[in-house]
Amino acid sequence: MTTSEYRWSEAAEVKSPDFIIERDDLILITGANGFIGPRLLKSLVDMGFRNLRCLVRTQGAEFSRHDSIARAREQGARVDVFRGNLLSREDCDAAVRDATVVFHLAAGRGEKSVPEAYRNSVVTTRNLLEAGSRQGCLKRFVNVGSFTVYSNGGKPQGRLLDESCPVEKHPQLRGDAYTFAKAKQDELVAEYSRRFATPCVIVRPGYVIGPGNPGMSGRVGVGTFGMFLHLGGSNAVPFTYVDNCADAIALAGVKRGVDGEIFNIVDDDLPSSREFLRMYKRNVKPFRSIYLPHVLSYALCLIWERYSAWSDGQLPAAFNRRIWHAYGKKTRYSNQKAKARLGWKPKVPMAEALRRHLEACRAATVDN
Amino acid sequence: MLKVAIVGSGKIADDHASQIQRIKGCEIVGVCDSEPLMARQFCERFPVKQHFSDVHELLSEMRPDVVHVCTPPQSHFGIAKVCLEAGCHVYVEKPFALSENDTRALIDFANDRGLQITAGHDDQFRHAARRMRSLVQRGYLGGSPVHMESYYCYELSDVSYAGAVLGDKRHWVRGLPGRLLHNIISHGIARIAEFLATDSPKVIARGFVSPFLKKMGESEVVDELRVIIHEEEGATAYFTFSSQMRPSLHQFCLYGPRNGIMLDQDQETVIKLPGKRLKSYAEKFVAPVQLAGQYLTNVKANLGAFVRNDFHMKSGMKYLIESFYHSIRDGAPTPIPYSEILLTARIMDEIFAQLGHQQPSQPCHPNLEVVPVH
Repeated sequence: MTTSEYRWSEAAEVKSPDFIIERDDLILITGANGFIGPRLLKSLVDMGFRNLRCLVRTQGAEFSRHDSIARAREQGARVDVFRGNLLSREDCDAAVRDATVVFHLAAGRGEKSVPEAYRNSVVTTRNLLEAGSRQGCLKRFVNVGSFTVYSNGGKPQGRLLDESCPVEKHPQLRGDAYTFAKAKQDELVAEYSRRFATPCVIVRPGYVIGPGNPGMSGRVGVGTFGMFLHLGGSNAVPFTYVDNCADAIALAGVKRGVDGEIFNIVDDDLPSSREFLRMYKRNVKPFRSIYLPHVLSYALCLIWERYSAWSDGQLPAAFNRRIWHAYGKKTRYSNQKAKARLGWKPKVPMAEALRRHLEACRAATVDN
Repeated sequence: MLKVAIVGSGKIADDHASQIQRIKGCEIVGVCDSEPLMARQFCERFPVKQHFSDVHELLSEMRPDVVHVCTPPQSHFGIAKVCLEAGCHVYVEKPFALSENDTRALIDFANDRGLQITAGHDDQFRHAARRMRSLVQRGYLGGSPVHMESYYCYELSDVSYAGAVLGDKRHWVRGLPGRLLHNIISHGIARIAEFLATDSPKVIARGFVSPFLKKMGESEVVDELRVIIHEEEGATAYFTFSSQMRPSLHQFCLYGPRNGIMLDQDQETVIKLPGKRLKSYAEKFVAPVQLAGQYLTNVKANLGAFVRNDFHMKSGMKYLIESFYHSIRDGAPTPIPYSEILLTARIMDEIFAQLGHQQPSQPCHPNLEVVPVH
């Protein structure tokens, strides 16, 4: 079932038995002006929710004029833009006040420093969770995590990665600030859920594509040392189109009976890394790439890791076997749980999603 | 075994811990941050015995010999004073304090108790900076410095730092007397202070908000600064801080009566600039070849340090910490003379006064709120 099937129709007064909140209950979205935030707003409004608060750290005034807000208001929704900093407990209290569902999208993305990524992902999440438990009417806290937290080793079903797979036990050894922060953020959410009975759901999207994210997934390769090293080869890349992802997050926030669950969000018909790279070169810009077979990339990661340890970090452990397992290993991805429990299905097919994504990448390249 | 504690567990504390781990004869016994989660994550990543959210508890329970103060600058004075009172030697990250008065008070306080204190001007101890200092000590300049040029730039496109400062009107950097400049320029100013002969040079400063920032709606954060420093019958210096010029330089040129030296921190190179010109066309053809030779020598030196496993990005910090510990253990002179720390603070005070910056408001989210300050 897609979000459109959940739409509050003309009979909007009718309470959906599938939802934990009613249409006029207040919903808070943090990181609302990020990549996914405006799409989540749209999904929620399309589902019929009419009372939304968008928390943004910066440019509150600019975001108030954002298309997604204008559209939501045209559809009769009340959308407040709240400017605040999640590092401030007072701001969190004010933002969460009267909210029945919190969608926590804000995170320390793009941070190279572990402490800053941690502060902007974990400390902020703790502040929000505490604010939520203080004000007492919170029915669900949706934490938007990431696939990156999976170790992708020791999986119960071989190559298949799903919600039952182990997460990285020692994320500090991954050498990646974002992974460390997201793993600790999920731990914290689980801890609060357990200790304080906070109703939480964790959503872990794969690599989110769409207009607004012109970057290249590290699962495809890395543009380092002056060339593009293609690492993915025939591996499937766990893409999810931003609109599809937003629909899944929206459902995770309002669907009855999923408290305490984790949902992986990945679309159907995933392209291989090689197919995606070919499309990218054809549709965005041509460039040279060198394919590094998996055995070679593993060996290089091993050597780099050993040298980094031996030299006390003269070369930081940016490449290591944990990273290879997480991003470089051949893996299949499952979205069955999200489909079965949330009633989600990707409404933008992968072919169309890739077309829109690559078109936006080309436009961004031209702009630059 | 020297017992080390770290107060503050932000980005720079990571660098401290990484370098302290590489030094023999010391161990990190505790870390403290007013945010318990931050202290906890630090302990999960570094071999640290215990974490605290109160500096007094850290000092009384772990009894460290030396404390590294890595909190936002507003709290440096208060924390350093508490640590000195507890009998600890103190390494204070840059900027050392908010003003010359605070700087002097801390140094006097340390002196009165027979303790050592130093400032985190680690860039002055990187490989190239040490090679340059060695050249000066061997008399390459041919006398006292005549003129200096110090570039210390910062690209404001950096998401992790600039994004936070520009995006958050309550960010602690905005609460500093010199705002963004206060948190960054001390490295570049300290380079000049090291080679000034007198303790009260004249300072002429001009600062402004770049058109780039203005376009983003920023009107408070001065991100372009030009300074002239001159001593009576002594050396002169230019200091440049820019967020917009490219390349974003971290360079220092030192000119003496006979020769000059150019240090490039990013390339880790030191180039000798001979004062004597070659004859006629030789200057056009031979001098560039000689220059190329010098660059090759630098490449060799850098490669050598890399092979010896001594070319970490924060090698200057390791050297400074090691020298500081040496001064604590063996009574050697502190790596940075106190007069230089004071002069750096004085020049910065003068710059900020001329820019007309008001006294800072209270920071919104300091890492550590410890003690009555000042």
